[in-house]
Amino acid sequence: MVYRNIKLVDFNLDDRRYRFTMNPADRRLLRSVKEVGVLQPVVIVSRHSRPVLVDGWRRVEAALTCGLEELPALEVATTNDDLAVFLLAFFGNYGQRTFSLAEKSLAVRKFYEFRLQAVDLIERILPLLELPPERRMLDLMLEVSVLEKRFLEIMHRRDWKPVTAELWLDFSPAERTWLYPLLERLTHNQQREVIENFHSLQKKIGRSLAELAREGELAGLIDRLLKGESGAADCLLTAIRQANSPLLSRINKAIGEEIKRLNLRGVTLDYDRSLEKPTLCLTLEAGELKELRQTVKSLSGSLGSGGWHRLFELLHYEGE
Amino acid sequence: MVELKIKKVWLDRRVAGTAPTRLLLEKLEGRPVEIVETAETVRRAIRLAPDPVGESKKHLFVTEQKSFIRPCPCSPGCVGCGYWTIDLDLNCPFDCSYCILQKYLDCQPLTVAVNLEQLRAELDEFFSRRPAGIMRVGTGELADSLALDELTGHSYFLVESCRRRDGFLLELKSKSGLPRALLQIKPAGNVILSWSLNPPQVIKGEEKGTACLEERLQAAAEAVRHGYRVGFHFDPILHYPGWRQDYERVVESIFRRIPVDAVVWISLGSLRFPPDLMPLARRRFPDSRIYEHEFIRSGEGKYRYPRPLRLRLYGELAGMFSEYGAGDRLYLCMESVEVWREFTEKIKRGRRNSAFPFPWQC
Ligand code: SF4
Repeated sequence: MVYRNIKLVDFNLDDRRYRFTMNPADRRLLRSVKEVGVLQPVVIVSRHSRPVLVDGWRRVEAALTCGLEELPALEVATTNDDLAVFLLAFFGNYGQRTFSLAEKSLAVRKFYEFRLQAVDLIERILPLLELPPERRMLDLMLEVSVLEKRFLEIMHRRDWKPVTAELWLDFSPAERTWLYPLLERLTHNQQREVIENFHSLQKKIGRSLAELAREGELAGLIDRLLKGESGAADCLLTAIRQANSPLLSRINKAIGEEIKRLNLRGVTLDYDRSLEKPTLCLTLEAGELKELRQTVKSLSGSLGSGGWHRLFELLHYEGE
Repeated sequence: MVELKIKKVWLDRRVAGTAPTRLLLEKLEGRPVEIVETAETVRRAIRLAPDPVGESKKHLFVTEQKSFIRPCPCSPGCVGCGYWTIDLDLNCPFDCSYCILQKYLDCQPLTVAVNLEQLRAELDEFFSRRPAGIMRVGTGELADSLALDELTGHSYFLVESCRRRDGFLLELKSKSGLPRALLQIKPAGNVILSWSLNPPQVIKGEEKGTACLEERLQAAAEAVRHGYRVGFHFDPILHYPGWRQDYERVVESIFRRIPVDAVVWISLGSLRFPPDLMPLARRRFPDSRIYEHEFIRSGEGKYRYPRPLRLRLYGELAGMFSEYGAGDRLYLCMESVEVWREFTEKIKRGRRNSAFPFPWQC
């Protein structure tokens, strides 16, 4: 490799054949470049007589933003083929940080296009990327890599896992476009849950997402979320979870109503919402003995009411 | 019997020249054979296929096992039934949409152990224990006990090794027909042949490659005529519109052919699976609807039907079996203490019999 300074205008930055990383230059890097310039050389290779960037995209971006004119660069011999050069780009970043799924998919795509054998990709590259060394994972990564840029960006920013990406690919392009503005307003966990729940709901009832979203409660909540209302995301999630779990939602609702009707003061009732354990957990709260006596008295007074009986019946409910 | 779709045979170098291996190869004439040092070589080849699970069922690996017998791990937080498993074969030529082995075996090919002398020694040692009650042992945890039997003849070996071992019951559990070998020997009183059953449309849609219900029941009836006792497993019971009538018909067809006295046990278990099986199975079985259901995540991390529904399924099936006087043969597979408690309470109250602790211990 040859070390030299290179003018930014000489770069062919449109040639992104070796780029698979997605992080933009952050404020820290910008400040440092502004103060001391770019110290670590970028890596370049000449293609069609113009330098093409191999590694150092964030540094170049920062240099451009800060108005630098040239940069230190290490130039790789032109005789190296694309695969050999890409290995430099890959290992130049590998180990510095964990790649996002979107970046992994782009790296896999590059290796694939630079003709690394499928067997090597599966057995050598996928394990490096902490992905199972299977043909299916290779296919999934290749599918992800050609998704629209905005989808890759959201995957990158929110650090999606392969199972979420797989569900995402199961939606039609129109459905993805419809879901996108919703996802933009959600956190990583909310995104995962919304995708999982919509996916399973859609499969269960066999209707399209657009149809589902036009329905009463969901339509209103989606509208609120798109308007940026706080709390709308949680409400939407609760609504889709309930739609996915009608039996438990019904029983939990009935239990909640019974508890409310019992109207116990100083007593909190809790139970396992999944109903796996059909027991109630009672917590008594009292600041002094007198208060405790009153609480216990009103609790035992309430035992004669049918409410407790109905509550236990609901906990032991057996049916479809 | 099962039509095997084996496209390649891989021999572990340690057993490549042995007599049992030669015998196996004779039955697999025409298939390419490769000698390898470890199963990992085979797994590597399988991993490269677009559907590694499906591919794993087309490769046969002949090897020796280091040890065969171990206690069945059951599922954390569930009531165990004290089962012991013999890992004689691994993987299964059938392809059920709900099969946990899809995830569990990680590209393991169909694997057949040929070091039966070691198994015999292990069994002798195992049988030398004097259990307080009855101990059950079987080969059906990581494989179907009879699916490869025409090839391996393992059922004959096992029946002969377990014959007259008091206090022990050997179970051979299957979704296939009855191997001829089992009809050519004298039945053993402590050998139970058992079949997993489901309604015909479930078998057709979810249990690819297995024998149809009719064939399984005929096999069971033939086994009973020959003098064996039998068991049935309703596991997984699936919930779908019309499930009740479908299962009722299955129960009816059992007792049309088989006298209740010949049935030693009937297990009930509902659909359950680890979360990572769902995406894999959805991909492998795009027409299956079984994963599009309401599930809860239970304490041990598996997805299951909600408890009220599981109780309903078990309760209804218990009622159906009780009609034929078989309520006392029932037990639950991999269920929580809470569900066991409610289930047995119901049976005691409603049908005047008790399935607890376990039918073979009563
Ligand atoms: S028969 Fe049993 S072991 Fe074989 S695929 Fe079906 S569930 Fe799995």
